[in-house]
Amino acid sequence: MLNDLLIAFQAVATFENFLIMAAGIWGGVIIGAIPGMTGTMAVTLALPFTFYMQPIPSILLLVALYKGSTYGGSVSAILIKTPGTASAACTTLDGYPLARQGKAGKALNMALYSSCTGDFISNISLIFIAAPLALLALRIGPPEYFMLMVFALTTVAGVSGRSLLLGLVSACLGLLLATVGEDMYGSFRFDLTVDMQGGLAVAPVLIGLFAIPELLKIVVFRNTEAQKPMQLGDNKVTRAELRRSLKSMLKGSMIGVVMGAIPGIGPSAAAFSSYGEAQRSSKHRENFGKGEVEGIAASESANNGCCGSTMIPLLALGVPGDVITGVMLGAFMIHGMTPGPMLFENNLHEVYMLFIGMLFSSILLFGAGKATMRFFSHISRIPPGLMAPIVLILCLFGIFSISNSMYDVIVLLAMGVFGFFMFLFAIPAAPFLIAFILGPMLEENLRRALAISRGDPSILVSSPITWLFASLAVFVIVITIRQQLKKAKA
Amino acid sequence: MGIARGVIITALFGFVLLVLIPIYVPRPSFIPGFAPPPDMWPRTVSIIGMVLGLLLLGLSFSKKTQAIADPEDAGSIRGDTPLPTLLLRFGWSVLAFALFVAAVSLLGFLLASILLLVAMLVLTGYWRNRWVALIVAVALPLLLYLFFSSALNTRFPTGSLLRALGV
Repeated sequence: MLNDLLIAFQAVATFENFLIMAAGIWGGVIIGAIPGMTGTMAVTLALPFTFYMQPIPSILLLVALYKGSTYGGSVSAILIKTPGTASAACTTLDGYPLARQGKAGKALNMALYSSCTGDFISNISLIFIAAPLALLALRIGPPEYFMLMVFALTTVAGVSGRSLLLGLVSACLGLLLATVGEDMYGSFRFDLTVDMQGGLAVAPVLIGLFAIPELLKIVVFRNTEAQKPMQLGDNKVTRAELRRSLKSMLKGSMIGVVMGAIPGIGPSAAAFSSYGEAQRSSKHRENFGKGEVEGIAASESANNGCCGSTMIPLLALGVPGDVITGVMLGAFMIHGMTPGPMLFENNLHEVYMLFIGMLFSSILLFGAGKATMRFFSHISRIPPGLMAPIVLILCLFGIFSISNSMYDVIVLLAMGVFGFFMFLFAIPAAPFLIAFILGPMLEENLRRALAISRGDPSILVSSPITWLFASLAVFVIVITIRQQLKKAKA
Repeated sequence: MGIARGVIITALFGFVLLVLIPIYVPRPSFIPGFAPPPDMWPRTVSIIGMVLGLLLLGLSFSKKTQAIADPEDAGSIRGDTPLPTLLLRFGWSVLAFALFVAAVSLLGFLLASILLLVAMLVLTGYWRNRWVALIVAVALPLLLYLFFSSALNTRFPTGSLLRALGV
């Protein structure tokens, strides 16, 4: 294997390949940082260009775009509280408060270090544990999936905001909204208009929920809220901060690796789970949500930790874990390669080239991140009164360009108003979002499990894995209630 | 605040459960095998939501338990600004959004975006820097329009009024 990797190293280490990967990373960071422009969009738009390229450079370009956009999402999440990608939504929780304290540079640096660490560990895991982990993920059936997602949702509801009850209400609202449109058996639900039969896309809901309420807050509370233009300010992450965050960073990377390897879970859930775990185990848990660098380390290492591991089921089993790896599957097939067990038989050299290229791209991500940080730091100097309307227009154009439909634009604006009401009632937005993303999968797995068991709900606690996740969910609820009762007494 | 929130949350989920689901989530006449019906999941979530709303409401009545239901007093977010002023500003914003959606079919996406941006800059108070605001309001949508329509081939609505005028 080592010999094969060395041969692949020689094949990848060309100026042309580096240029392609650098362009992909830098382009991805920029696209990910623009609200409304997602990593999916970047990869999809680049796909036609790969027709004219060699197979491996073309896949490396797509992977670089994916990695760059995953990190890029954190740039706007930190500077303007608008996650460029869904997986960066968790980074806003601590990144934006830190930016408001004049430490945007520190937040961006921590996001970059964590992203690169997560990414590198993810790539290593892809190389060494691809096949065994993918096989384990394949054994997870509908009841296990359902309980896993219930656990993820409970964790998110517990750690977002200060009330578990409000977190759960938020999750229920997200789950309910996710039912709009066609269900798994072809029935239409809540189709108040014809457009609603197609359901609600993630992008307008996500952007609407995070970006538009910020604008409305500036408009409505402009006399009561101090509007200090943000500075890049304190840039350096101190050794003490890095040491403090290292545990969360490594744990987050591993969470990202495991959750990324399970098809369908993806970086958003990984980021929130890692954040919850970091908050639970941190000595500074009271600072979470107020600008804690450990929170940024946890979420960013986890979301980039998924980048390599989402390739595990794709390469080993031919199963794409998310939309982006779905596009990559298409790219593989365009070049005559079929991901799956046979790929390791027929195209082993290409697979190793891809592994090595992905390791290189982690290093390139660091360089591109550092360079782009200075460029994007100018965003923080724009007054919020000007920036918020600019973000609104960016969102409108970005969202319209995804679907060429005014329906998504209306959803965007409506979700903005809804998000503002949630803010007024102190209902946290994060559980809503994660429930909205996981909702369809959660329901699908529940209905599949019930169909398998002929309507017997005991199937949901029928295996050791379901028991494990159910116990973890109960544990999170008990711990959160205990903490809240303690606080209430104090 | 806690009581009002509990009532609103309960009412919202109750409305979905008792009004929207019976009308907009029809049960098919034939469901194959033991597959659960399409309304099973929305009903379950609505019931859980209603229970949570009632729990919030119940906890808000006692001072001891209020801290669990309402740990951060959402009322404090408002500050000293009178409620009618806040409502007016919010109303203007929503009106601007609604007018934008209506104006797209009439004036096209570009012009409607420029007008929305002007309205938002006025509402955020940035319009004091009139020249900067005006340049941004015109240049930004124009640049985005050119980028998306040429590089990504996005076909933005042109507007019936402008089409009638031959623009």
